[in-house]
Amino acid sequence: MSRQRRVAVTSPQTRVALAARRGVSAVPRSLTGDELRAAARIRRRQLRIAASTLAAAALLLVGLPVLLGVVPVDVRLGPVPVVWIAVALLPYPVLAGLAHWQLLRAERTEGGTERDRGR
Amino acid sequence: MIAFAVVPVVLATLLIGARGVAALRSTSDFLVASRRVSPTLNAAAVAGEYLSAASFLGTAGLVVKNGVGALWYPVGFTAGYLLMLVLVAAPMRRTGALTVPDFAEARLGSAGLRRFSAVVVLVIAGLYLVPQFTAAGQVLTLVSGTPHWVGIVVAGAAVSVTLALGGMRAATYVQAFQFVLKLLLFIVPAIWLVVAVGAGTRAEALRPAEYTAFPRATEVTFRLDTRLQVREPVTVLAGGVPVRLDPGEHVAPGEATWVFPEGAAVPEIAGAALPGSDTWQHPLLDGGNGHPLLATWSILVATALGTMGLPHVIVRFHTSPDGRAARRTAAITVGLLGSFYVFTVVYGLLGGVLLPELYLSGATDTAVVALPGRVDGGTTGAVFTALLTAGAFAAFLATSLGLLLALAGALAHDLLPGSLRRLRLTALLAAGVIVLFALPAVRIDVGAVVTSAFAVAASTFCPMLVLGIWWRGLTARGAFVGMAVGLASSAGVMALGLLARPDPGLVALLLGQPALFSVPLAFLTMIAVSRRDRPPAGAEAAMLRLHLDERT
Repeated sequence: MSRQRRVAVTSPQTRVALAARRGVSAVPRSLTGDELRAAARIRRRQLRIAASTLAAAALLLVGLPVLLGVVPVDVRLGPVPVVWIAVALLPYPVLAGLAHWQLLRAERTEGGTERDRGR
Repeated sequence: MIAFAVVPVVLATLLIGARGVAALRSTSDFLVASRRVSPTLNAAAVAGEYLSAASFLGTAGLVVKNGVGALWYPVGFTAGYLLMLVLVAAPMRRTGALTVPDFAEARLGSAGLRRFSAVVVLVIAGLYLVPQFTAAGQVLTLVSGTPHWVGIVVAGAAVSVTLALGGMRAATYVQAFQFVLKLLLFIVPAIWLVVAVGAGTRAEALRPAEYTAFPRATEVTFRLDTRLQVREPVTVLAGGVPVRLDPGEHVAPGEATWVFPEGAAVPEIAGAALPGSDTWQHPLLDGGNGHPLLATWSILVATALGTMGLPHVIVRFHTSPDGRAARRTAAITVGLLGSFYVFTVVYGLLGGVLLPELYLSGATDTAVVALPGRVDGGTTGAVFTALLTAGAFAAFLATSLGLLLALAGALAHDLLPGSLRRLRLTALLAAGVIVLFALPAVRIDVGAVVTSAFAVAASTFCPMLVLGIWWRGLTARGAFVGMAVGLASSAGVMALGLLARPDPGLVALLLGQPALFSVPLAFLTMIAVSRRDRPPAGAEAAMLRLHLDERT
C-alpha cells in the first residue's frame, strides 16, 4: 500500500472554535453571495429529496407493523407464514433500495445544480 | 476448544492494531485516521463496529424470549443508517468536527453546549459498553465454565491495549476485518444449522407447537430470580431435592438449577411469550403490556433515530475524506447490515423450537452459541460452537473499541482538551472503569440496556443534529434545553420505571420504552426555545455551508 499524503484534519469551523479557545481569531473565508444562493437552492432540493425518502421509510416502519397486526399468521407462502417473511426478510432489500435511490438523487442535486437550474 | 476460538480473535485484533502504530502521530490521527478511508472500507468498518453483542446474540435471544416480533429490532438498526444517509451523513462530515460535542460547538458556537454534549456521550457510551462486557462474561461462562469475571477482564484488556497502541487508524482496519469475520461466522453456521437439523425440525420451526409441556425431563438453571406462574402441581428436583410446587406464583432463585419432569406443564413468566404460542408467533413486539403496535413503533423510533446519535458511529463518518464519501459510506452500510441481519431469523426460529427452556432460564442471550451443541453433540457441533463464540467475541471487541474511543474522546478532547498521550491514558482508564461497572452487573438484560442507549441518543443528539443541519433558527440555548429535556424524558423516565416497577400496561410500556414521546418532546422543546431567541448573524451561512459540495 502506497503511503498517502497526510492532511490537516480540522475544518474551517473547527479551526475557528479551537482558535477562539486560545484567544486567536481564525474566521474562515465567508461564502460569496452567489455561493450562498447556490447553497440555499441545494438545501431546498435536498430537503425535498429527503422528505420523499423519509415518507417511504415511514411507510415501511410505521405502516408495515399496522398491516402485520391484522394479517393472520396462517396466511402462508408454501410452508412459511407471509407475515414472518414481511418482518424477517422484506425490509432489508427495501431499505437498501431506498438508500440507493436517495444516494443517486442527493449526489445528482449536489453535482448538477448548474445543469438542472432550468427545471 | 474455546481458547482455540477466542485466542485467534484477540491475537488478530492486536496484530492489526499494532500495524496502525507506525502511522500514528497526532491527536487527530488517533481519532479519525487522518481522513483517508474509502467509502467501502469505511462502511465495512462502520458495520463491524455496529454489529455488537446485541446484534450477534441479543436479537436471536429476544426472538426466543418474546417471539417473532423481536425481528423488528434489526430492522430498526438497519433503518438507522438510511435516516443517517438522508439527514446527517454528508453535512455532518462537512462541519469537520471530530465528535458530536465538536459539532455542537462548530455549528452553534457554544463551549458550554460542547461540554454538555460530552456528558451525554458519557451516558450513552456507558449504557452501551457495560452490557457488551457483561455479555462477554456470560458467553464465556456458558461455553467454557470459566468464571464470569474472566471473560470481562479478557475483553477489557484486549480492547484497551488495541486502542492505546493504535487508536482509530488501527480501529478502521480492525473493524473492517471484524465485519467480514462476523458476517462469515454468522452466515456459515446458520446455513449448516438449517441443513443439519433435518426436514422434521425445519417444518416444526415454521409451524411451532406451543411449549406447554416438557417433552423430556428438563434441567433449567435460572440466571436471575425468576417469578414462575405454575399452572398445574409439579414436583421439581431443586438441587437434587424433590420440591412440590402448587399452582400459583413461585420464585426460583437466581443460579438455582431445577429439573422439571417429563410431561409436566411449563410454567409461565410475565413479560415473555411461551415459545410457539400465538403471541410468540405474532409478528409484533409484545412485552406483556398489551399494546404490541405501540411497543413496536417505540422500538423502531428509538433504534432508527438513535443510530445517528450514537457517538461511536458518528465519529466513524469523519474518517471519510469528504461529505460525498460519508454519504456513500452510509448507503453501503445499509446493504452490509441487511446481509447480516437476514440470518437472524434462522437462529431465532430454531432457538424457539430446539431451546425453548431458555425461556424459563432467562439465558436467551446464549441461544445462538448453544444451538450447534443441541443439533450435533459431536465434534462438528463443538467446532460450530467455537466459531460462533469467536464471532460473538469479535462483536464485543469491535463495538467496545469504538465506544471506548468515543468515551475517551469526550473526556480527553471535549471535557479536558489534551495531548495524544493523555487520550491513550484516558482510553485505558475508561476501559478499567467500565470493567468495574460490568463485574457486578451480571443481572442486567443485555438487549434492554443497549436499546436504552439508543433511546437516549434518539432523544438528545438526533434532534440537535437534524435541526442544526436543516434549520437555521436553532440556537445554542434551544439545543441545550432540548437535549436536557430529551435526556430527562429518556434516561430519567427509564430510571423512574426501574424504581417504580409499575404493573404491566400502557404506563409500564411508556416508562420502559419512552422514545415514542421523548423524541418528539425533545424536538418540540428545541424548536420552541430556539424560536424565542434570535439566531446569531452567521447562522444561516454556517448552516448553508454544510450543504455545499466542498470540492466545488
